[in-house]
Amino acid sequence: MSDLAAFRREVSDWCESHVPAGWRAAQTGAPDAEFVAFQQWWFAELKAAGYAVPHWPAEWGGGMPAAEQAVLYSELAAHDAPRLVLQFVGLHHAAATLLAAGTDEQKARHLPAILDGEIWAQGFSEPEAGSDLAGLRTLGCRSGEGFVVNGQKLWASGAAHAGWCLLLARTDPAAPKRHGISYFLLDMRSPGVEVRPIRNAMGESHFCEIFLTDVLIPQSCLVGPENGGWQVAQATLGAERGMTMLELAERLGNAGFRWLVSACAAAGALGDSLADDRLAAFETEIAALRSLCARIVMGHESGTAGPADASVVKLYYSELLQRMTDFGLEVSGLPAHAVLRKPASSGWESGAWLLDFIGSWEWTIPGGSSEIQRTIIAERGLGLPRG
Amino acid sequence: MFADLHDELRAVARDLLTARAPDWGLLAASGWTGLEVPESLGGAGATFAETAVIAREMGRAATRSPYLGAVVLGVGTLLLLEPGPVRDDLLRQAAVGEAVPVVVLPVAADFRVGVTSASPASFVPDAAEATDLLLLTRDEDGQPAVVALPAGSAAASVIAQPVVDETRRLATVTVDESALAGAPALRFAGDPGDAVRRLGDRAAVAIACDSLGLMEAMLDATVAYAKVRHQFGKPIGSFQAVQHACADMQVQVSVGRELVSSAVTAVASGDPGAWVAAPMAKSHVTAAAVDVVGKAMQLHGGIGYTWESGIHAYLKRAALNRSLFGSPAEHRRRLAARYA
Repeated sequence: MSDLAAFRREVSDWCESHVPAGWRAAQTGAPDAEFVAFQQWWFAELKAAGYAVPHWPAEWGGGMPAAEQAVLYSELAAHDAPRLVLQFVGLHHAAATLLAAGTDEQKARHLPAILDGEIWAQGFSEPEAGSDLAGLRTLGCRSGEGFVVNGQKLWASGAAHAGWCLLLARTDPAAPKRHGISYFLLDMRSPGVEVRPIRNAMGESHFCEIFLTDVLIPQSCLVGPENGGWQVAQATLGAERGMTMLELAERLGNAGFRWLVSACAAAGALGDSLADDRLAAFETEIAALRSLCARIVMGHESGTAGPADASVVKLYYSELLQRMTDFGLEVSGLPAHAVLRKPASSGWESGAWLLDFIGSWEWTIPGGSSEIQRTIIAERGLGLPRG
Repeated sequence: MFADLHDELRAVARDLLTARAPDWGLLAASGWTGLEVPESLGGAGATFAETAVIAREMGRAATRSPYLGAVVLGVGTLLLLEPGPVRDDLLRQAAVGEAVPVVVLPVAADFRVGVTSASPASFVPDAAEATDLLLLTRDEDGQPAVVALPAGSAAASVIAQPVVDETRRLATVTVDESALAGAPALRFAGDPGDAVRRLGDRAAVAIACDSLGLMEAMLDATVAYAKVRHQFGKPIGSFQAVQHACADMQVQVSVGRELVSSAVTAVASGDPGAWVAAPMAKSHVTAAAVDVVGKAMQLHGGIGYTWESGIHAYLKRAALNRSLFGSPAEHRRRLAARYA
């Protein structure tokens, strides 16, 4: 048995004994506090097994080879394990930023804390800076040993639970817009920080607005050079996308497709040539997505990834998710409309088809909308002239 | 290592295939007709993975050549047979380009065995250019087997079937069973049913490779054109509508590459997973190619609709590929049979 096959067996055995059988039912309609407690509990379980931060460097508790990480995520998906939702920004985006551009002090302060359950949010977008992120207006003014920040951030996922926030603010209004932005670590307990949840299309409130009024950020919380924040953000924004996309693709290929087949079976449509044809087409597209993600992960490892590879995957995944959940909804008919809650801690495909379908816009809009991804593919990938 | 080898093969193929209809002797001299023929019979002893590289490049160049019928399928069939003088001789001659052995099989997804007078084989690739015909038939025990006939034999009539796509040569083959009686059947090595399935997968995946090549060529051509064609004082490639259509083409190409790569690997290694990977590649990539080539025609504007531009040849070939060896719906039916 190869090392990889042995590792697959190890993870599979671990999942058999650790994934709680009834977690979906328990998480369906669970109050916020229960969701948070469950997320922290599951994170601690993964941490104890050495599966929480496989993508971090060995000195910070990770160091798992990419091929093993791929196996880990595929087994977690195959066993329908809960997803880490609350810790996502901390584990991926904050960690990648700290590792790439943080000072030794910043790394030592935050990486172990993230491993202990510190929750992070991302304060990038603003009411007037969505797709045109570089047009952000939140202002950071030098003041003594730090910066005084004023402004408003939008779409900060999980900010209501976050202890810290990745923040972009304009620190040189006179400079060209991409050269006047600084990157900060914001302590959410600072005076002047106010968080208001926004109810989204699904009825959930994990997105937040963050209002910043004369918030003092010390110099020690500046990441990278002053006014060099845009470059730091660009370097770290897509850095973790390969492996996180692989996890999502595995989930779509496991639970997601199984639910689609059972939705057809429940509707008596299995064996119907039209339904069968659609199912086979989705199975094919998922197979392609999974193999695309695996290639991108290996491309990151070997440094051969193309400039628009991450955009191709994000675009394809999000639109496939949307089409698949739409089909699940269509085939399920009216009963899907009577499913009022989806389980928290689940993936984007939970089998609550209407809510999953509506939730799929959370993939085609944020993180660079599908339109922005197509422009990136055209300009950076194919080298077409800038519009 | 294999990746390097394939890159080299691809580069040579791209140079050689600039002619619309390359000379068969030239292909043989380049070693392409004998790629998979064992070294002991004068071939290169390579695998389907290398044949697939050529198939993709022939799609890219929309090459007119009996390579599909003779090498992908003819040699492919011979390799599945038990060794013996007839088989070995044909392989030896095919490797040096003297024989063009074309397999006669129904071009549907189910690979129904047995061409008869009552049910001729239609749309058989390259049969009219064959030196030898390999009839997929049944032996006295009812098992699938092959009968080899020289072209021009009274037992088989081959009538060219013109099609709109001028880059492919198809034919209708009718067999006279009475004249066939007594012809020795060549047996498949191993389970004959399995051999026929593998042959079907080879055919499907080779066509998917061809369609991937068509898509890649049309994406490249469209991007190049969009950079130089100016309207409203700007290159059309700077307009978002054009950019986004090109991005969609790129996504289709990326997805197609993954499906083809998985299917080629499975077929080349004899992996039973080819039973799933082959219909996935065939159904998705051949349909995507029609879409991508159609976008190429659209984005080239008026010039794309002219005969001169040659894009029509890609569109016709992409459409033919979609129907050859089983429609997308037929291949998805095979996949869906696993869900019940």
